[in-house]
Amino acid sequence: MNADTATWLPIRYRASNKLLVLLAWLILLFLITPQFVIVPLSFSSEAYLSFPPAGWSTKWYGSFANSPDWGRAAINSLAIGLPTALLSMILGTMASLAVSRGGITRQSLVAALMVAPMMLPHIILAIGLYPIMLWFKLLTSYAGVIIAHTVVGIPLVFITVNSALSRHSGSLELAAMTLGAGPWQSFWKVTFPLIRPGILIGGILAFASSFDELMLALFLTGVGTQTLPRLIWLQMNDYLTPTIAAAASLIFLVTLGLLVAVSILQTRSGAEKANAHG
Amino acid sequence: MAKRGGKLVMEQVQKRYHKTVALHPTSLDIEPGEFFSLIGPSGSGKTTLLGTVAGFVPPTGGRIEMDGVNLAMLPPYQRNIGMVFQNYALFPHMSVFDNVAFPLRLRKLGVAAVEERTRKMLATVRLPDFGHRMPSQLSGGQQQRVALARAAVYGPRMLLMDEPLGALDKNLREELQYEIKAFHRQIDATVLYVTHDQEEAATMSDRLAIMNAGRIVQHGTPRHLYEHPSNAFVASFLGTANLIEVSGKPESGEAEVRVPTANAGLLKAINTIGQGAMSEACVICVRPESIRIETGEQAKVCANSNRMVGKILDATYTAGTFRYQVQVGTETEAPVAVRLPSVRQSDMLPRGTNVSLVWPASATLLIRKD
Repeated sequence: MNADTATWLPIRYRASNKLLVLLAWLILLFLITPQFVIVPLSFSSEAYLSFPPAGWSTKWYGSFANSPDWGRAAINSLAIGLPTALLSMILGTMASLAVSRGGITRQSLVAALMVAPMMLPHIILAIGLYPIMLWFKLLTSYAGVIIAHTVVGIPLVFITVNSALSRHSGSLELAAMTLGAGPWQSFWKVTFPLIRPGILIGGILAFASSFDELMLALFLTGVGTQTLPRLIWLQMNDYLTPTIAAAASLIFLVTLGLLVAVSILQTRSGAEKANAHG
Repeated sequence: MAKRGGKLVMEQVQKRYHKTVALHPTSLDIEPGEFFSLIGPSGSGKTTLLGTVAGFVPPTGGRIEMDGVNLAMLPPYQRNIGMVFQNYALFPHMSVFDNVAFPLRLRKLGVAAVEERTRKMLATVRLPDFGHRMPSQLSGGQQQRVALARAAVYGPRMLLMDEPLGALDKNLREELQYEIKAFHRQIDATVLYVTHDQEEAATMSDRLAIMNAGRIVQHGTPRHLYEHPSNAFVASFLGTANLIEVSGKPESGEAEVRVPTANAGLLKAINTIGQGAMSEACVICVRPESIRIETGEQAKVCANSNRMVGKILDATYTAGTFRYQVQVGTETEAPVAVRLPSVRQSDMLPRGTNVSLVWPASATLLIRKD
C-alpha cells in the first residue's frame, strides 16, 4: 500500500518521506546500540570489563557454563519465568474475559486498575510485597517471586487478550450459545481459538518481563532462588568479570528471540484479521 | 407457510433495568409455522423482546412458552431456538462447512449424518460448493445465507432473526427477502423476525407487531395494520399517512361520523374509536393513494365522499407514480400527500395549480392520536 501511495504523491512529499525513513532508522540505532555493546564485552580477552576490549576470547562463555552459580541462576530464571508466564496467561485471560464480556459496570476503571501494576514503579511493588511475603513465610521461596512476577505479567496478558477480543464481536459467543454450546464449549470452540495468538503473545511478554526483572528479584529471592539478573547485579558489585557480560548477552539473546516470536505471531494474527475484513 | 414449527406463547413478559422499563408487560401468541415480524423505531423494545425469547435477556416477569414448555428459566443453549444475527456472527476460524456443522457436532451426531445434513442444508441456501471456503471469502449476502443454514440445520422449532438484512445494500436486501421467505417455506420452523424497515416486514410477514416505547402498539396482518391502524403512530409508521387535525367534537353516529376540522370543514369518517371520543385525542387519517385530484369547478360531490380544496406545492414523478404535495388551508398546516398512478393520468399537474381533493368516506378513518 505504501508503494502505491508514493506513486501519486508529489516529489517533495516523497523526499520528506525518505527523510522520515532515515530518521526512523537513526532512532532505531539510538535505541538498539547500547544493547549491543554488551556483546563485544563478553568476548573480551581481559579479566575485567573494558571497552573497547583489547583482545578477543570466548572463555567467559565457558566460565559461565562451568560455574555452578550461573547455572543455578539460569535454571532459577526458567523455573520462575515459565510458571509466571503460565499463571499470567490463565489469570490475565480470565480478567480480560470478565472485563470485556462479563457485563461489569465501570469497565474502563476496572481495566485501568488491572493495568496499574505494569505502570507503577516496581520498587513500590517490591516494598509492598516484602512484608506480605514475610508474613506468609514465602520470602526467598520460588512461590513468592512467581506471585510477584505474575502481578506484573497479568496486565501484559490482559492487554493483548483485550485487543484480541475487541477484534471479534460478542455476538459470536451468543451465536454459539443459541446453537447449543454451553459456556464451557463456547469458550473452547469459539472464543479460545480466536484469542489464542493474543494469549500466547501476552504469555511470551510475561515470561520476558520475568526473565529480565531485577527489582522484585532483589527483594524477594534468596541465594538458592536468585535469578540471572540478580546474580549479574551482585557480581557487578563484587567482581566485574566479563562472565557478567556473557550472562547478559545470553539474556539479551533469549529476549530478542522472544520478541521475534511475538512479532511473527502478531503479523500472523494481523493477516488473519485483514482476511476477516476483506 | 412452513409445514410445522413451534407455537410461542408470551404472557405478561416484561423487562426492567433498575428504574427504566425496556419492555412493558407484553402478551403475544405466535402460531406454528408463522412468519411474524416485530417492527418499530430503535429503542422501541423489539430487540429486548427477541432477547427474552433467545434467552439473552432474562425477563423480570412473565412466562414464555414454546409448545407448552416454559422457556423463561432455560439458558439459551438449552432452548433449541435458532438465531440469525445482523452481523452474521459466523465463526471466522471455521470453514463454511464447519460453521454449518457446528450445531450438529455439538449434538454428537455421527460423522455421516453431520456430513449429509450439512451438505443438504448448504444446497438449500444455494451454496453447495462453498463448504471449504472461509467466511471471509464470501460476500455479505452469501455470509447471511450461511448464517441461515447454520441456524436451521439442527431443526429448531423456531428461528429468530435480528435485522438479518440490515447490513446489506438495497437491491441485495430485496433479493434476500424473497430468499428468506422461500427458505422459510422449506423448513419446519416458526420465524420471529426483527426489523426497522416496514416495507421489509410487510413483504415477508404473515403477521407483524408494531412496537413503540417498550410496548406492542398493534399487531395483525400487514394489510390490516395498513388499512386499520389503531392510532396515529401505527398509521404514520407504516407507509405515508395524511393526518388531519380535528377541531371539534365528532357528531355521534354508529359507524360513520361527521368530524369538524379547521381546514376542510365537516368530514365524513369511519369511527374506529367508538363513542365518547374527545376531539383532542383523535385525528383523521387518509392514505395518499385513496385521494383523487380534480381540477376545474365541477363541485359534484357524492354523498359518501369528502372534498378539500388546495394548491399544488410540489409534484414529482417516481416509478409509475405522480407524487403531489397539496397545501390545504393555511401554510402552517402540513401539506397533504397524494399518490396517483401515472398511467391513468394525462400530464403531471404543475406547481401552483388549484385543485380539489376528493376521497371516499370509507377511506377516512377517525383514529386515536396515541
